[in-house]
Amino acid sequence: MTPLAHYLIFSGILFSIGLAGVIIRKNIIVVFMCLEMMLSAANISLVAFSRAQGVNGIPVYDAQVLALFIVAIAAAEVAIGLALIVAMFRARKSVESSTLNTLKD
Amino acid sequence: MESAISSILFYVFAVAAVLCAFGVVAFRNPVSSAMNMALCFGFTAAVYFGMGAQFLGIVQLIVYAGAILVLFLFIIMMLDVKAEEHARRSFPLACIAVIIAGIFAGFVTKVAISLPGATSGECPALVLCESIGDLAPGAVEQDTAAKNHTPYGAAMPELSPAAAAIELGADEATAAKATAFPDTKLLGKSLFTKYNIPFVILSFALLAGTVGAVALGRKLRKN
Repeated sequence: MTPLAHYLIFSGILFSIGLAGVIIRKNIIVVFMCLEMMLSAANISLVAFSRAQGVNGIPVYDAQVLALFIVAIAAAEVAIGLALIVAMFRARKSVESSTLNTLKD
Repeated sequence: MESAISSILFYVFAVAAVLCAFGVVAFRNPVSSAMNMALCFGFTAAVYFGMGAQFLGIVQLIVYAGAILVLFLFIIMMLDVKAEEHARRSFPLACIAVIIAGIFAGFVTKVAISLPGATSGECPALVLCESIGDLAPGAVEQDTAAKNHTPYGAAMPELSPAAAAIELGADEATAAKATAFPDTKLLGKSLFTKYNIPFVILSFALLAGTVGAVALGRKLRKN
């Protein structure tokens, strides 16, 4: 089996790609996708820890329940976030984050 | 042999998932990004299967690659978002993002390979207990619990179907015959006993999310 460190590194790389995407991309929908990717990357490390900390061949299921809760909250978050994006599109006729500059000007 | 194959498969799926994640950031067309994200979640689910978390793998496929992705594609189609035609991505911003993400990834890698048990083969909790001494309350209990844990640098512990069967209430004779690991049963047991109240509260969060989405998405009347 693969050591825990490799799972953690995989999760960290996925998280940092998501982070880079959030900073680079201007399209709000893609920014939101990258946020989802970061949540999913955090889940990987939770599941890996659950497996590695297992006693007597049974994983620690507390971590997997937490990962399940994160998935459910992510689903609710996507519903609200996309509704906000639709509302923003109605108001601005664009999904570019650079059009949200009312406070700047 | 079996563990070697699962190990190789992990690296294959991990590399594929990272490449798809690059695709999400790199493609200009949002639909291509969404498709890459679906692939990335699929490969992540495969990694879950490899870790023996079958239920979470299926949940990842159904909720992320199924529900969330469809919602994203639906909104992209509905808003008729065009690809960014001209390169408006500023180069300095990309540099800053790559530097920040690189620092983060390097930090995680450093922490992961220098976990206290990674090289010496000792458990981090045990090392911590020894350094604190017996000052902390419950140190003895932690000590014995820590001895049962595997060190972080070593391979992950094998799953034991027999131990799981005993955990679920089977007797010794039936447990010895168990061959498959009942991942979903154990997760369900934990979810509906220890975490039952958070689970119920979670359903309220989902309800609030649904109501919020409808309230935010409706057309505003001008009066």
